[in-house]
Amino acid sequence: MGKLLVLTVLITIVGIATWCALPMLLPQSPPQLDANEWWGPMDMKGKVDASIKPFQVKFTEEMIKDLKNRLQNKRQLVPPLEGIGFEYGFNSKEIEPWAKYWSEEYKFGDREKFLNKFPQYKTNIQGLNIHFIRVKPQVQPGVTVVPLLLMHGWPGSVREFYEAIPLLTKPVSGYDFAFEVIVPSLPGYGFSDAAVRPGLGSAQIGVIFKNLMNRLGHKKFYIQGGDWGAIIASQMATMFQNDILGMHSNMLIVQTGCSTLKILVGALFPSLIVESHLADRMYPLWKYFSYLMEEFGYMHLQATKPDTVGVALSDSPTGLLSYILEKFSSWTRFEHRTLVNGGLTFRFSKDQLIDNLMVYWASNSITTSMRLYAENMSNKNRALDIDKFSTSVPAWALQAKNELFYQPPNILKHKYSNLLGVTVLDDGGHFIAFEMPKVFADDVFKAVKLFRDFHKTKTEL
Amino acid sequence: MHIEYVPSTLVWGVELGGGDKQGSKGERHAICKVITIVGAVVVAVLFYKFYSSFLATPDLPEFDLNVWWGRNTSNGQDTSIRPYRILFSDSMQENLRRKMEAYRRATRVKSLEDDSTYGINYDVLGQIFAHWQFKYKYGSRVKYLNQYNHYITNVQGLDIHFMRIKPKNTENLKVVPLLLIHGWPSSVRDFYGIIPLLTSAKPEYNFVFEVIAPSLPGFAFSQAPVRPGLTTYQMAIVLRNLMERIGHKQFYVHGGDIGHAIGSHIATLFPNQVLGFHSSTPVNPSKLAHLTLMLGAICPKCVANDLVDKIYPYTDKLQFYLEESGYLHLQSTKPDTVGIALQDSPLGLASYIIEKYLLFTDPANKYTHDGGLSAFNVTDLMDNVLIYWSTGSITTSLRLYKESILNYEMEETLSSIPTSVPTWGLRTKYDLIQQPDFILRWKYPNLVRTTNLDVGGHFAAFEKPVEVSSDIFEAVKFFSTMKK
Repeated sequence: MGKLLVLTVLITIVGIATWCALPMLLPQSPPQLDANEWWGPMDMKGKVDASIKPFQVKFTEEMIKDLKNRLQNKRQLVPPLEGIGFEYGFNSKEIEPWAKYWSEEYKFGDREKFLNKFPQYKTNIQGLNIHFIRVKPQVQPGVTVVPLLLMHGWPGSVREFYEAIPLLTKPVSGYDFAFEVIVPSLPGYGFSDAAVRPGLGSAQIGVIFKNLMNRLGHKKFYIQGGDWGAIIASQMATMFQNDILGMHSNMLIVQTGCSTLKILVGALFPSLIVESHLADRMYPLWKYFSYLMEEFGYMHLQATKPDTVGVALSDSPTGLLSYILEKFSSWTRFEHRTLVNGGLTFRFSKDQLIDNLMVYWASNSITTSMRLYAENMSNKNRALDIDKFSTSVPAWALQAKNELFYQPPNILKHKYSNLLGVTVLDDGGHFIAFEMPKVFADDVFKAVKLFRDFHKTKTEL
Repeated sequence: MHIEYVPSTLVWGVELGGGDKQGSKGERHAICKVITIVGAVVVAVLFYKFYSSFLATPDLPEFDLNVWWGRNTSNGQDTSIRPYRILFSDSMQENLRRKMEAYRRATRVKSLEDDSTYGINYDVLGQIFAHWQFKYKYGSRVKYLNQYNHYITNVQGLDIHFMRIKPKNTENLKVVPLLLIHGWPSSVRDFYGIIPLLTSAKPEYNFVFEVIAPSLPGFAFSQAPVRPGLTTYQMAIVLRNLMERIGHKQFYVHGGDIGHAIGSHIATLFPNQVLGFHSSTPVNPSKLAHLTLMLGAICPKCVANDLVDKIYPYTDKLQFYLEESGYLHLQSTKPDTVGIALQDSPLGLASYIIEKYLLFTDPANKYTHDGGLSAFNVTDLMDNVLIYWSTGSITTSLRLYKESILNYEMEETLSSIPTSVPTWGLRTKYDLIQQPDFILRWKYPNLVRTTNLDVGGHFAAFEKPVEVSSDIFEAVKFFSTMKK
């Protein structure tokens, strides 16, 4: 009887070890998606060209007038409960000052000009007119221009990168390169068209963005992303390993069977998994899960019924404001949930936050932006299981203190075999490029230098 | 793979050292036996402790029956019962008209599919919009809503609204008080169909009902609390205090959805005051019930009998709950955020509420082109939306979900305490959570009967007033024959 037990235990251990080692032992090919899948109206197929047209953000008089009417004619709101900050969500006491600022002090003309400060364009990829910013650096001879694709997430937009773009497109001493940045709006977000049929998940967006980069003349390029941008980046780095030169992510997470097992083991023995001063970013597990439950109601709703809540958010600017800014509050610092003003202007100015809201409002894209959650949760897209495939693309993680997820390098390496390193910050939150543009830009430069060295070493071997 | 053979003597760290490595066969077997028995006993004890922690009946906690939920004021409490009339003011109507005429942004997005799998279908939304804009007549609807007598009285600091309908012809009939408790996203409007049936004599019964139908605190015409803590069992206390204020120390209770949860708490906290409890969504929400149904997947027929198709396969059910509970998750965590949007957008509010009426009356509606709208009189649905809209009470109604989560432990404790109150369950064909009688009996040991309708969904009283009111009559007839 004892023999049987020992045998069972040994076989189980060996089985798990084999299962974990399998991805490295057997050749694994991530799925190849159709590079020509059509997302636009069928009657446009074959009728669009590959031209790149300049684009300007426009806040029309009609839109501004209507927006101000809605802001000024909002109905009286229910006051928050006594003693509550942002624990029940956006504190309604803050709506009046924000609505007043938006309708009376926000300078639509100036802000429109600001949003147009970078050259931007639209081009049709797979049936969708994709909006993007493109800034080329002015460089001296001897400085290489490297292409960098920056991808935003939800509820962000290209606006998140406006402070970082000038820092990335200027030569920096100590580096022999500078970036040409391409910053698209995700399909269904901002000024990019939305798909007219189901199926456009993050992996499919990765295909669209690769096609975009190719159209702009870049066969190989670097990528950077946070939030959905990080997920798209991770999937691009998996699907196009020969074309992605390096990936910088500020929300790097790995989800394989093995990494999950390790995280569970670490619940009992954290020191096996994570350095002690960082352990509280992932343990204790019960605390971490209750935090996720507290914060992810929106995700659960958007992954199942985006169109229902989208009606209210398209119709009410204060509704849109509260729904979106709630994230800029609690995802920048956890402690902001106890504040009556949500700590919103702790690192962001009112104009910055409203600029981002205007991208959603002016384009009426909140509903289509939320559909991305439903698409990724679809059985079809989950079956692709791209996350389980590892990639040899060199990677770097920027890990802010208040980011939603933290995983230590030994777990990240399960997917990113060439994870060259991580930067752990003891400050900053989810919207790190927006919140700390200098720290962000410095880190991107540092990472890409290491990526370039990595490739030089490879070719020299 | 090289697998090493490890002798059994070393398995448990017990080395039979000494000269004769074999040892006596008997000795080895004896030790194995002892260790196995000890191990089995340990596992059994642990399992028993785990399971019995669910089985143990906690003591009924003591509750403060006079918690003040309103603003702190030095004025005395006005305990009078004042008449009340619902108003759809001109300014509200004008505001709505302007909002509807505004640049129709929400209706410009197209649905991805010809059904409601992403949420409300935008063609259906267009129909609702058109009906509201062109067909809904505020004047006649408010008259309809005021056909019953409405009142307000202050209970524990909150002005609580209720309707009170006394039966007209009571010759030779006993008049019994019946408290009707609505749920979310419903209102007293759900009961407008059953009220005339309940307050009219039926030849087979020697009694008839006086109906009291309040709006829950924070819903519709009832005030909302100013501080956290007003969860379902606190509402049970408020409603029982309301009944006493009206003059009823003993009464029958009917409820569905949250109305079931509150009714259940009233029956648990005040068993001597509830003469009988009729539920149109009979559910035992305790962990034990869930665990048993989950384990029951081993033999679904053993556990569920005729209800087997409504409970199993369990994984299918779980997936359904996961897909449908996004709103629950959001409201239980950030009610005020989405509330701000729903209070400002009439179409947004209508979508949010009507989506539930369409989905929870028949889950197949998710896949139909019209989402199930054609089964309804849209005016009836709009009445309920207007009640939420005109009172601006959507946000406070959502907060109840967060209060329940914050007070989850007490909710769980109460759900594990059985109540001796005679209980009757009505199950509709499509209701969301169905449990076999034996599980209900853990909470309601005096479960007299369960009726199984082969029609209807979650909003039973609203959808099937004839069947529900008949069932209530039958239940109360039975209740009244039981010795208290």
